[in-house]
Amino acid sequence: MPRSGPALAHKSVAADPYSWPFDGQWSSGDTALLLLGLQQCAVDALQAREAVLAARDLLLLAHEQDIAIYAARREAGPDSDAAPAAWQWARDIALPEDAEIITHAGDNAFYRTGLEASLRSAGIRNLLIAGLPTDGLVHATQRTANDMGFECLAISDACAGTTPARHAAQLRITIFGNGLFGAVADLAAVRAALNPA
Amino acid sequence: MGLSAPFWPSIQPFDVRRSALVIIDMQVDFCAPGGWVDQLGEDVSNTRAVIGPIAEALADARAAGMVVVHTREGHKPDLSDLPANKQWRTRAHGLGIGDRGASGRILVQGEPGWQIIPELAPRPGEIIIDKPGKSSFYRTDLEDQLRALGITCLVVTGVTSDCCVQSTIRDGFERGFECVLLADCTAAVETQNHLATLDILSAFGGRWGKISDRFAFRQVIAGAGRGG
Repeated sequence: MPRSGPALAHKSVAADPYSWPFDGQWSSGDTALLLLGLQQCAVDALQAREAVLAARDLLLLAHEQDIAIYAARREAGPDSDAAPAAWQWARDIALPEDAEIITHAGDNAFYRTGLEASLRSAGIRNLLIAGLPTDGLVHATQRTANDMGFECLAISDACAGTTPARHAAQLRITIFGNGLFGAVADLAAVRAALNPA
Repeated sequence: MGLSAPFWPSIQPFDVRRSALVIIDMQVDFCAPGGWVDQLGEDVSNTRAVIGPIAEALADARAAGMVVVHTREGHKPDLSDLPANKQWRTRAHGLGIGDRGASGRILVQGEPGWQIIPELAPRPGEIIIDKPGKSSFYRTDLEDQLRALGITCLVVTGVTSDCCVQSTIRDGFERGFECVLLADCTAAVETQNHLATLDILSAFGGRWGKISDRFAFRQVIAGAGRGG
């Protein structure tokens, strides 16, 4: 992604359980947005249009800020009974041309993909995470990112779970123990922390 | 809790030669008096309550000749494998990973607090996995060892259910292992998060892992012994 000049630091995000990121260091140069599983089949199955619209706004914000965009999608397996069109990106999502697309087979965007190598080579240390479902692809991917040492922020209203209860519970587990798996904030908190584009 | 009935034994035929009992992080720091969690003033009664049930499942697995895996979360003494944010988050509690406490340096390899509790001490020949992360598969050779032994099914126990147990099951699923969690052999510091983990694992019909208990485990071992 072409960048113009050194990236300015953003303000810390008002997040749970701590102001994110942990060391206050984040800029458009060292942060990526991970959009996970924003495929029409998932949107339909989870009735998650509201979360997708928040993810769309987050995507627009991030793109304005020159934050690198990674979008991961699950391949339609041979045993899938969904029509191929259902596996396409959600209708509400228009990815910028320079978004990096990750295709994965299971429920984790890091497993057998080039995602980690790509993030490392781009100098990314902070991840904004959104997508579907909260308690599936999103959280599995965040757990792996966290083990890898990435500083993760899940954007709560840009995610939806397999049920609302599981969504809430998974985010509660995320922030247990002062953020075992990172922090959680909503889109408004991210927006408030960003510099004017 | 009525959770085990629909799921177990979904893995049929159960083959003790292709199954491993995995005991996650039953270390002094997580579940013994004087360990890290105890020093933080948090309640270890949940994590201690599963020691007896795990010991039963372990005895059954050993009697059946199953592969047994013990994991230990810990970091090298120079903390070179400890992410900065992981250390920072734990230090917010007042006593963080690498700091010296009543049971030695917290979650540092070789320290008293890092050891597996004596009640569940590994025996010679059992696999011990030292892991720097929450997942037993992250930066370990667990997958290679399991594949070399022909293991396809993981019977998972240990602590904590919402943290390292959930990470290991998710990563086991991702690698094609059939995972079964023994719900009476796992616990979280907070019961709410434990119950939520069981509910989350029931998503998509238990795609990531099934839920059972040690009694069903014992039965299925006995059945496998007679079958073939």
